[in-house]
Formats: sequence, C-alpha cells, structure tokens
Amino acid sequence: MAGIAYEQALANLRKSDYASPPELTDKQSLLKKYHPDYQEGSTQKLVVGANKGDACPTTLAKLLQSNAPITDADLAGALVINTEVLVVGAGGAGCAAALEVSAAGRKVILATKLRIGDSNTVMAEGGIQAAVGEDDSPQTHYTDTLKAGHLCADKKLVAQLAISAPKTIRWLIEQGMSFDREDTSSLSSKLLRKKPGGATRARILSFKDYTGVEMMRVLREAVELDERIIVWNRCPLVELLSDEDGNCVGGVVYDLSTHRFMLVRASKVILATGGTGRLHLNNFPTSNHYGATADGMVLAYRIGAKLREIDSYQYHPTGVAWPSFRLGGLISEAARSAGAYLVNGEGKRFIDELLPRDIVSSAILRECAEGRGVEREGKVGVFLDVPDLERRNPGILKDRLVSLSHLGKQCDIDLTKEPVMVRPTLHYQNGGVVIDENGMTTVPNLYCVGEMSGGIHGRNRMMGNALQEIITFGRRAGEHAALTANQYPAPKVGLFHLYNWQRELILSNVPTDVYGPILFPEYGNFDFHKEISLRTRTKHSVKSNNDSH
Amino acid sequence: MKENNCVSLVVNGKQLKADEGCSILEAVMKSGETVTDNIGCSGQGVCGSCRVLVRRQDEKKIISTLACETKVEEGLQVSFLDHLPVNHRQHVYKTNDWEGKSWNILQRINEVFPEAKHCRHCGGCDNACPKHLEVQKGVNMAAEGDLNAAAIFNECIMCNLCTIACPEMISPNHLGTYVRRLTTAMTLRPSDLLRRLHQIDSGEMTIDLDAEIK
Ligand SMILES: Cc1cc2nc3c(=O)[nH]c(=O)nc-3n(C[C@H](O)[C@H](O)[C@H](O)COP(=O)(O)OP(=O)(O)OC[C@H]3O[C@@H](n4cnc5c(N)ncnc54)[C@H](O)[C@@H]3O)c2cc1C
Ligand code: SF4
Ligand code: SF4
Ligand code: FES
Repeated sequence: MAGIAYEQALANLRKSDYASPPELTDKQSLLKKYHPDYQEGSTQKLVVGANKGDACPTTLAKLLQSNAPITDADLAGALVINTEVLVVGAGGAGCAAALEVSAAGRKVILATKLRIGDSNTVMAEGGIQAAVGEDDSPQTHYTDTLKAGHLCADKKLVAQLAISAPKTIRWLIEQGMSFDREDTSSLSSKLLRKKPGGATRARILSFKDYTGVEMMRVLREAVELDERIIVWNRCPLVELLSDEDGNCVGGVVYDLSTHRFMLVRASKVILATGGTGRLHLNNFPTSNHYGATADGMVLAYRIGAKLREIDSYQYHPTGVAWPSFRLGGLISEAARSAGAYLVNGEGKRFIDELLPRDIVSSAILRECAEGRGVEREGKVGVFLDVPDLERRNPGILKDRLVSLSHLGKQCDIDLTKEPVMVRPTLHYQNGGVVIDENGMTTVPNLYCVGEMSGGIHGRNRMMGNALQEIITFGRRAGEHAALTANQYPAPKVGLFHLYNWQRELILSNVPTDVYGPILFPEYGNFDFHKEISLRTRTKHSVKSNNDSH
Repeated sequence: MKENNCVSLVVNGKQLKADEGCSILEAVMKSGETVTDNIGCSGQGVCGSCRVLVRRQDEKKIISTLACETKVEEGLQVSFLDHLPVNHRQHVYKTNDWEGKSWNILQRINEVFPEAKHCRHCGGCDNACPKHLEVQKGVNMAAEGDLNAAAIFNECIMCNLCTIACPEMISPNHLGTYVRRLTTAMTLRPSDLLRRLHQIDSGEMTIDLDAEIK
C-alpha cells in the first residue's frame, strides 16, 4: 500500500479549505468492500461446539477449537480451595461483580491473569453512556444502541443496559468515581455530556479523557480494601471444572509466581476476562491491553456455552499509524466528538467524522487503499487534524484532551502544530458469549460479563456502551450469583466436559495438538504447554534423583 | 557498542540489543524473554505496572519511570521493580467514612493516614512520580484537611512508585485516592442525574421494547 508522501500531504493539509465531506450514499457497499469483517478468506466455519456451522475469524477459530493443555494427571496433587463464587478477570466487570458478591456476604475469590486493574478498562478514555439529559431518555439510548448495532442486538439486554445506566452512574459515584460537570464550581451542576458517534443525543459522561483510569483506580481500591474479597494476581484461569452432568463447578487456575495449579471448587463462576484484541485478527494492530487473548471465551465455548456475533469486531477509526512503537494505540473518539477532522493526503475531508465507527474506519481504509492516504516511513494512514481543532478551540488540548497531549509527548509530536497519522486499529469484540439479563450463560452456574459476553452491541458498539455494560452486567451477575450460590461445593468436580470435547475434535478431524487458551500474545514468548511439560519433567527428574539415593 | 540504529542496554542484569526508537518494554519482548508480569496497557502509560529504575550511561542519578514509555538508549541500566514494598501498610476505610462526620474530616484523614502529618518534605515522592505530579504538595494539603488535594492526584495511575519512595510509609497515592473517593462520594450530586433517577424509580420512565424504530 502506498500513499502520498508525508511532507507533500502536510503541504496539502495546510492549504485545505476543510470543505464538508461528500455525502455517503451507500453505506453497505462501503462496509462490504473495506471493513475487515467482510473480507473473503478471513473467516472459517466452526466444526465443533455449540456454534458449529457459524463463521468466525480464522485465528479465533483455531483457539475456539483447541484442546486443553492439561489433563487429570496435572491436577493430581493440586491445591484444592473452596469458595462460593469464583470471579475471573479483574478489569471493571470482574471488580464490579466481586464487590456485589462480597456486599451480599458471600465468599469470593477474584483471580486475574495480570495484576488487578491491568485491563482494557483502565485504558478507556472517552467515557460512559447514560441517558441523563433533559433531551434524552433511556428509550432513546435503547433505540440508538439497537440502530448503531445494525438491529441485531438482544433487545432485552439493551433495554436493561439503558434503564440501569443512570443507576450505574450513581453506584460509581458512591464508590468514589468522579465525573466532569458543566459548571465545575457547583456540586449539583449537571454532568458534562458529549455526543457519541452514531447517537442522536449527547450522552457520554466522562472524567477528562481518562475515564478508565478514574474508574479502575476507584474499583481497584474498593476491591483491595474489601477484606472479604480474596484477590489472586498473576493467576490465570486455564480450564473450567465440570461435573458429570456438564455443570460448571469451578475452575483450574495456574499461579504464575509459584508455578502450580490450584483447583477452585465454586458454586458459581463469573468469567470477566475481556476481549480479543491481542489475537491481532486480520493482522491488525490493536489498542487492547496485553492480556486480551480471548481466554474466557475459549474456555466457555469448550464447556458448552453458545456464542453470538463472533464474526463482528470493532476496528476503531483512530489508531496511531506512526510512529511504530505506539502503532495501534488509541486516539479516543473524544477528539472527533470535540470536532477534529479527518483529512486525507490530498488535504480533503472524506467522511462525516461522527458516523458510526465501522463506517468511518471503512472510509479510512478506502482512502488508504485508493492511494489518497499519507505515507511516512512505510506506514500509511490519514491525518487527524488536531492543530486545526486547537486553533478553533484554544486550550482544548491542555484542558480536555489530556491523554491526546500525552500521546503527542510520547511521540515527540507538537500537536498544536502537527497532525497525527491515524489508521483503524482492532479495538473491540462486538459479540461473545450468549447471556441473559443476569449474565447467565447456557451452561449451568456459569456467568459471563463484560467484553467477553455478547448480545448488547449487535454488530457495532457505540462509544461509551462498553463501560456502561461492564458495570451494569458485572453487578447484576455478582448479585445474582451471590443470591443463588450454594455454600457447599459440588461433591464431584473434574474435567468431565473435556472427554466429550476431545471426542468431538477427533471425530471432526480437528488436530488435538493445538492448545488453548494462549494466555499471552505470541511475542510474550510464553508457551503454557511447554511450561507445564517442563514442570512435569523437572518433577520426574527430581524423583529419579531421589530414587538413586 | 553502538551499531546502526541498534543500542545495547542491561535489563535486570542481562545484556540486550534493541532497535533505537523502541521502548524498554518492547526491547525486552523482542529479546525473547518471557513476559508475564510488569505489563498491562503496553504503551499507553496508564496502568502503572511496568515500573523500572533506570540509570543513563555516565550518569549517577537513578530515576524511576515506566518501561513502556521510555525509549531505549545506549548503555541504559534497567531494573524492573516489584509491586509493593514488603512492609507496606494498608490504610483501611469505608466510602461512608465521612458520613455524619463531615466537620471532622481532618481527624478522619489523620486517623486513617496517621503518617501523613509526619511528612519530612524529602521530595522522594515527587522524584519518583513518572507523571510528574506534585505529590508532596498533595500529601501536605490532605494532612491539613484541604480537600483540593484531590485534584493533584487527577492523573495518578496508581503505579505505587511514590509509596515505595516514601520513608514515612505515607502511601501518598492511596491518601490521594482516599480524599478523591470520599469527596466525590460525599458531595457529587448532579441535578440531572438526580432527576433521571427519580423518573426511573417512580416508573415515569420505562422502556418499550417494541417501540417502532425509525
Ligand atoms: C484503549 C481503549 C479505549 C477504550 N475506550 C472506551 C470508552 O471510552 N468507553 C467505553 O465504553 N469503552 C471503551 N473501551 C472498551 C472498554 O474499555 C472495554 O470493553 C471494557 O473495559 C472491558 O471490560 P472488562 O472488564 O470486560 O475487561 P477488561 O477490563 O479487559 O478486563 C479483563 C481482565 O481479565 C483478565 N484476564 C484475561 N484472561 C484471563 C484468564 N485467562 N484468567 C484470569 N484473568 C484473565 C485480564 O488480566 C483483565 O484483568 C476502550 C477500550 C480500549 C482498549
Ligand atoms: S502519585 Fe504515586 S502512584 Fe500516582 S502516578 Fe505518581 S508515583 Fe505513581
Ligand atoms: S516521600 Fe513521603 S515523606 Fe517524602 S515528601 Fe513525599 S510524602 Fe513526604
Ligand atoms: S504497561 Fe501500562 S504503564 Fe507501562
């Protein structure tokens, strides 16, 4: 892919009249031609599991149809711990769930792969949707969400999201999360609202442009100060536990610090392991945190949960396209909703910046594919004209777009003078595990919440609905699990679901030597299967040493 | 020795080569090391998990910073830091801590963070902070009951570097978060939110699942 050389493009930009972009008449064919989801050959049909026959990105299909790296033998001698509820993943959804389980007086373990808070939640910038404006209503929030998602979301889930949203904001304030107000000098001032792309009303509430930092530091502190929540850092879930009837009865956790397995017997399991970005579908860079490798979804699928819209991903229009060390990093929609223009290498605006993300992304990919992009050191993108925004709104960078200014500093770009180069980045998993309004999956005792669940966003997510979703449904799942949990763990726990799974793999000619979940991206140089085979080998060698004495 | 656009540096005692322009974190990954810790946001600089001490070639000074935001340099010495000091003191409170005691906020702050008034003004926290916040000022304001301290910690990413640096075990960032959380929980009452909650609770606003979508 080639584009217009950076210096030339910069000169074109300086001469730009910023004329309104041409009106988009045929959205569908733009999506079909340029959106990565629609590209031929990027998906394949699943041949095993509850979604047999459904199309899914090839990289993900491999993991969804993978084999477990552990067997019964690995679990012999593992530490066994009982709890009422096991929550997996300590981003926003997991923390909200754990807090509610604890508030209901139940025993809860919160196990997470990285450290608590190291998640997509802390990275969120733009904000969170809730219909609080006088010109707005939960009904409008509901309608906007369904429409943006191409009318295929689960109406009940969307209604739950929209009607709960104001209450969720109240709960967050009670936990100590702050929000921007219209008038900073008044305590009862209205909340500052911004308009998300694709919405009919201004509905985004935020804390500066690092809403996720504010949300996560509050939730993290709340969890860590709650003596009833046991937090296990660096303890990824590597398999779920089942009984003979296929119910979920706990999970197998691997402690990365001590290199040992722990068997957690739990009456209810809530998965909140987040998204898929670090699988780099279609070779795209990603805005996601290091641990976003679809682990929860892989494990939920293996134990029998049904998935939906797993062929639908969000490629955020404004990922960093240059320099390479920040490639794929996010530039929040806050910049476009504040009025920053997208300009191609010819110095022309080419799309209404506030159309839904899938459309804006496709338009950027079109500009790049048709040679109107900007090229710098082999990277191609378009300009996000921040200097022009700053000219029209002096001080906005310093006061409101703090994260963007920070990015400028990281990249040695003076954003008051120089535009940034952007290109779509793999940002969000629109679909996921099928759930009901309490986050329950089709597998008894198993809940899934947050980005790994599906049904709320249809085939496209609006800005701000993910943060709303993780808290609303995280809390609901926590409450529900606490209410229905049994104090006594199942008498018989094991890997019963694996026997059927492996039989299915063999019958369908799927290789059984592909293991999942991967836990860390390839460049993390971590191979779980190797790690445990090393463990076994060391154990044996130690034993034979002892024997010889 | 410096090669074309390539530098060598030492990370946790191991010599690495890396391309100029890449971050310390990237360099570690590219070197083939297994990375399962000290990483999260991987470059955005917001999760605070990649904390390192670095020393530049021919410089005595050791600085603390974030590995994902710091570019490699020839001769850089880097050590990743563990997450909390061994004898870290937990400051325990509830979000309704100030309820009915709002005239005693100063006492409450001093009860929960008794060390705060012992600040030695050593500047350790300010030097440690990779976000260059005025941590010491925030601590001193909080210790005097000045709730404007909250704003000083607006951009704090809870990397805990100031907590590690503080000889008085004050845990500046947790103090900042305490003041932030309680101030908000106690006082933020947006009128539009109050109204909407009332409309929903009273049944005045509901959702019609089957409303026509235009
Ligand atoms: C850069 C960026 C900006 C965004 N901005 C916005 C925004 O402005 N508004 C909005 O609404 N949404 C935004 N989003 C989306 C939103 O932040 C996420 O969808 C949401 O935070 C996901 O929350 P979660 O709790 O489901 O998952 P996460 O917050 O990602 O947490 C997942 C947790 O699970 C853990 N985990 C993963 N695998 C395992 C395992 N095997 N075992 C144990 N633990 C595991 C991880 O370590 C992590 O702690 C943004 C996302 C990104 C990446
Ligand atoms: S105040 Fe402390 S915890 Fe916060 S960013 Fe600075 S050093 Fe890190
Ligand atoms: S490090 Fe501790 S004692 Fe030193 S200035 Fe900061 S708060 Fe005060
Ligand atoms: S990896 Fe998150 S701050 Fe460096």
